[in-house]
This record gives sequence, C-alpha cells and structure tokens, in this order.
Amino acid sequence: MDFYKGNVLRIDLSAKTATVEPLNMDWAALYVGGKGLLFRYMWEYIPPKVDPWAPENPLFLMTGPFAGTNVSTTSRLVVGAKSPTTGILNDSYVGGSFAPEMKFAGYDAIIVVGKAPEPTVVTVRNDVVEFLPAAPKYWGLKTSEIEQAMRDDFDPEAKTLSIGPAGETLNPWACLSTDQYHKAGRGGHGALMGSKNLKAIALRGTGSVTVGDARAFLADMARIHREFVLTDDNLWAHEEGTPVLVDLVNGAGAMPTRNWSEGYFEGAKNLNSESFQKIRVKKRACYQCAIGCRNFHGTTFAGKEVRGEGPEYETIALCGGNCGIGDIDALMEFNAECDEWGLDTISSGSVVGLAMDLTEKGVVDLGLRFGEVESYVKAPAMIAKRQGAGAELALGSRALAAKYGHPELAMEVKNLELPGYDPRGSFGMSVGYATSDRGGCHMRTYPVGDEILAGTVPADTMEGKVQQCITGDCANGFIGQNFSSIKFSGIWCDFWAVTPQQLAQMFKHVFKREVSEDEVMLMGERIWNLGRLFNVREGVQKDDIPKVLYAASGAFKDGPSAGKAIGEASFASSMHDYYQLRGWDQNGVPSEEKLAQIGVDVRL
Amino acid sequence: MPHVMISSKKCTGCHMCELACSAYHEGVYRPAVARLYADVNPTTGAIKGHTCLQTGCAKCQEACPNDAIVTKEITVKAVGLDEVKGYVLVIDEDKCTNCGECYDVCPTNVIHAHPDREVAYKCDLCDGDPQCVAFCQNPHVLAVDLKVDKADKALVGA
Repeated sequence: MDFYKGNVLRIDLSAKTATVEPLNMDWAALYVGGKGLLFRYMWEYIPPKVDPWAPENPLFLMTGPFAGTNVSTTSRLVVGAKSPTTGILNDSYVGGSFAPEMKFAGYDAIIVVGKAPEPTVVTVRNDVVEFLPAAPKYWGLKTSEIEQAMRDDFDPEAKTLSIGPAGETLNPWACLSTDQYHKAGRGGHGALMGSKNLKAIALRGTGSVTVGDARAFLADMARIHREFVLTDDNLWAHEEGTPVLVDLVNGAGAMPTRNWSEGYFEGAKNLNSESFQKIRVKKRACYQCAIGCRNFHGTTFAGKEVRGEGPEYETIALCGGNCGIGDIDALMEFNAECDEWGLDTISSGSVVGLAMDLTEKGVVDLGLRFGEVESYVKAPAMIAKRQGAGAELALGSRALAAKYGHPELAMEVKNLELPGYDPRGSFGMSVGYATSDRGGCHMRTYPVGDEILAGTVPADTMEGKVQQCITGDCANGFIGQNFSSIKFSGIWCDFWAVTPQQLAQMFKHVFKREVSEDEVMLMGERIWNLGRLFNVREGVQKDDIPKVLYAASGAFKDGPSAGKAIGEASFASSMHDYYQLRGWDQNGVPSEEKLAQIGVDVRL
Repeated sequence: MPHVMISSKKCTGCHMCELACSAYHEGVYRPAVARLYADVNPTTGAIKGHTCLQTGCAKCQEACPNDAIVTKEITVKAVGLDEVKGYVLVIDEDKCTNCGECYDVCPTNVIHAHPDREVAYKCDLCDGDPQCVAFCQNPHVLAVDLKVDKADKALVGA
C-alpha cells in the first residue's frame, strides 16, 4: 500500500500488550488521515459518554498519508482524545519528527488504552514494543531530560513523545512534547497520558514509506516545492516567523492584555519580531518542512543562559501582554520553563494573567501581579508541582475564577483558554471561537487573516463573517473550518498557505485518481460534521464565548479598537446564521439531510 | 571534484535531503538508508552535516581490497546552480563483497552496508541531478550546496 502503512499499533497499558490491527481503509477513503481519520477512530473506539479519566478512554496518535515523504510541512502528528479538560474532542497537532518516525517504524496510528499499574515508558523499535518501568529513573524528568535519556538508553536516534512533570501531576493543560520544543499543547493530553501512568513513548523506525513511482513523485514534489512552497506567501514564516504578528495584532487592538482587560499592550515593542531577531541564533524546521519557521533564540535571564525555540506569537501574547510582561528575557525564561515542565503556554499565560487579575483586584492574593517578573517566572514550576499558589492555579481558568466568585474573568471557551486574538479587534473570531470543535482555538478558522493581517475586510463588522468561518476564502489563503479540517487531515501545517486546488494535486498521488477542488472541500465539511456529531454525542455545552467579548458593555475604552462591540443581538443572530448555513438545528445538531449529502457514515 | 556539503549554520534540520536521497536511490522513502544525513540535536539546535567528499577524500577507494569503488565521470546540474563537470566515486556492485573495509575509514560516516543487499551504498550525486540540493530551501537557504575543490578544478581543466 502506498503512503499508508496499513497498520495501527494498539498499546494496552493495563495488560502490557502491543497488538497490530489493520488500518481501516474504508475510513481512510472517507476521512483521509490526520484529523479526519482520528475523528472516525475516536467515534468508534471511545465508549460513548466515557469518563475521560477512565482507563478505557484511549489516547490516539495519528499521522497523515504524506508523513515521511517530501511533501513539505506534512510531518505533523495529531494527538487526539476525549479531553479530560473539556469533556469533548480534542485534536492537538505537533510538528517535529515523531510522525514520520511512526511511519518508518511501520504505523499510521497508535492507540493507547488502559492504565499501567506503575509509571511506564514504552519503547518501539519497528515491530518490537517494550514496556519499561519509569520509576525511579525517568518519572519526574523534565522534557529535555527524558528525551536525552531515551537517546542515551534506548537509541541515539530515538524520537520521543513525552510528558513533563505537569503531566504527572495531571495538570489540566499539561501538554505532550517531542523534539523538546514541539508541543501538542492544547486540551490536556499530557494529563490524560499521566493518568495512564505513561511517561513517554520512544520510537525508532528504520523502514520505509512507499509512494508508487518514487522518481515521478519526486519530480512532481520538486515542482510543487518550487511553485507553491518557497513563495512569498509562505516565506514570511522563514524570514520572521510568528513574532511578526505582534505589531499587526497589537496595532489592531486585538492583543490580549492584562487578562483581556485591554487589547493593546504598550510593552509589545519589546516583544515584536524586530526584538526577537536581535536574539535569534538560527532558524529551525520540523521534519520534512522546507519553510522552517522556527526561531532558535538565545539570551540571558537573571545571569542564566536561556536558549531554545520560540516563543511563538500565541505565547508572546498570552504569557507576555496578557501578564503585563514586556521583558523579553523574562518571557524567554517563562516559555522555557513551560517547555521543560510540560505546560501549554496559551493556557499558562491565560491562567497566570487571571491570577494576576484576581490579586490586583484584591479578590485573593495569589502572589502574582501584572508585570512583576520575579514571581511570574516561578509560576510554571509551582503550577506543575502544585506548590503553594500553584495548586490554586492548577485548577485552570474556569475553576479558579469560579472558586473566587468571578467566573466572568475566566477567558475560556468550553474550558479551553483562549489564544491571542481578542474578538473586539477582530469580530470574526467571535463565531470562530464559539463554534470551534475543541473549544477556545484560533486554528479552525482565522478571520484575523483577512481582517487584520491582509486588511481586506473590515474587522469591526459581522457582515459575511459567518460564511467566512465555515468555508473561508481559500483562493486568497483565508481558511475556514471546512478547509482547515481537510488541511489538518493531510496533515499540512497552517504556515503553508496551500489552496484546495494544490491539495487536490497532492491527493491525486494518494488516491491514484483525479481529485477535484470540490471533493477536497466536501471531505473537509464531512470531517467537521463528524467532529460535531462526536461532541453532540458526548454532551457539548452551548456554543458561546465570554460575554465581555461581544457585549456592548465590554467595549474597550482605549486603544485602537476602543468603542467596538459586536453587540449581543448581532452575536446571537450570527450564531443563528451559522447553524442554518451549516444545516444544523439551533442546538447545533447536524440534520440527516446534511449528513447524507456530505457522506458522513455514522449517526447518533 | 563536485560534492555536496551541508552548512551547519544554514541547515534548519528539516531532513528533506535525506528523504529525497532515499526516494531517488531506493524507490521508497527510507532516510535510514540515505546517502547523506544531518545529525540534529533538537535541544541545543546543533547540527552536523554528513556528506561524501568524493574524490577529494577517497579513503574508501584506497581501503577497498576489491577495486569495487570506482571513479566515474559526471556532469552535475543541480537545481539553481551552474553545471559542473568532474568525478564521483561509485560502488561497482558486482565487485563489492560487503567486506566493510571502507565503512571503518570513512571520516564522515556516509558509506555503509545496505540493509537489504550484501553491498555498500554511497552518494553518487544522483547521476548529476542531486535531489538533496533540489529539496533544500533552494535558493533561500541552500544549506545543501554543491562544492568544487580547487585542486579538482585543475584536474577537470586538464
């Protein structure tokens, strides 16, 4: 079989067994790989309404058909589960080299079920799977340490997917790490893995991925590489990377500042692309990516050297402006601490910002204040260890704010903390956040793209935004939910501004037939609807966002987006339009007509 | 002689060169059998490229007891670069006994026993169309570059 390995590795931690099942190719034909195929497997393998903390709740690692080939950016891995943090689906993506290594080891997917009786590390060398006790040597290690330990003890070429100490303490935003700086950040997969007593999966694969006529494929990919990858539309990511967003988003009054109380951060000039270029050591790339967006930085903080990749824009926004921190060295240190302890930076910055807000408002003294560097850089370790105020912060935004009687200060959607775009400066993001399949997320649709970055549509109106959230304007590079669904099934990276027409050219090699743009978009719609069905089955809460983000009373008094508010009526009617355009009822349940029309093969 | 080099400074560690190399030579994507590789430490970001220096080194050829590593004339036309004429060292698979003498002497660790066949394998510059160069970030980074030794240029001119 070309592109796919045709194998799913099922690791049962309770029984300490590893079995190989054939990949369901009927599902692959409908849902491709990555996000789509993950959703289909989740639908089938997750017992309906399962307690997400139960051993029966599996953790899924899914590759895309192009992982391990020369298709740029498609080395991404999607980690999926019913999230213990949100109670709904969570698909979290990570670059690096883990997914290609899975393919070279012989697997398209890994499903982890059960719970190990003791802390465990699983090693996979091609078809040999071993279960090693993690204690005392590996349990408790930080992410760089466990990776190095696997290179030392298992294989110099080991690719490791691990949790840091935060995953061991079941932190609700603990992430998975690979190649040290690459994180499957969102949704608490680290906590799920920790609950299974699984510290790490270390892989070594020496096999192959076949593509049919390799030289013909190489020639076509060399063409696509030159025509579609190495273009100005994508190379901003190489020249600058995501810090380029700081001035743009801040300038539009959409950068979360001091727990979302403002949309413009006066200290952002110290955290912009220019500032980061001054401390850039080199450019780095994920496996099989010609763009190479990653910035490896080096600086010193409190006399100590701090080196590593990132921070990316979301981290700069949430851990910078949202905490009132304009000190680039402190931000580097905070980011490195989150990386090492295994914490998602978006949620970390959001929760720390909330704790600062609660402290400043005199609600409760959590020892953190906006702009105060010394306590700020210690927060990740305290959170991961649940020490002192860290135990309070580890509740997460929603529970922390509720505990102290201020639920309105928690900036989350479906218990996933919001990323770095305030809808008051980018109206389209409101419906985008509200309808995102995994909760507060900017990766499903990105109205910021045309509202702020390109500036081709006004940011302060809902006119046309609902349609944009669903279908996007793909020809111009603005992704909607349907397109991101198929794109993340490839799994192409967001930073390749690829079009449906270009995806079709690549899918042709996988499906060995012509694929039309319409079919690409149809597959995307099918995948999005399958995700919705899963969430409805598991009991998703109402699609909404924090009221302050759209209510007239929530408008900013100062800054570039001052006075702008979507308005409650406008937000409600946009949500109404969204369901109607989707072919869903007003509770967000997809209709039989819609499911039949787009070929979803399961029903509630 | 023409040979490829990986610039540690420019290389981003994407491994596209290894992928293209294996697909071209093996007919499948199998970087474990690539003819060049970038050794990447993800934590420190340190990268060390490993490529064959061809006739500029030739330690493998000198070590071979069976004359199985032969000098072959080649015209290299890498994507985006000028045409270069010269020589590469290739394995004569009929003569190679997989004895391993060359594996031990290679200073860059890029000549090995093939995992499926009882022969050595090494870089041959893809018969003049090096895929590693084609799939590097050419022309934006060009970490995988085609180099020509001065001494060898004289040889070509002669």
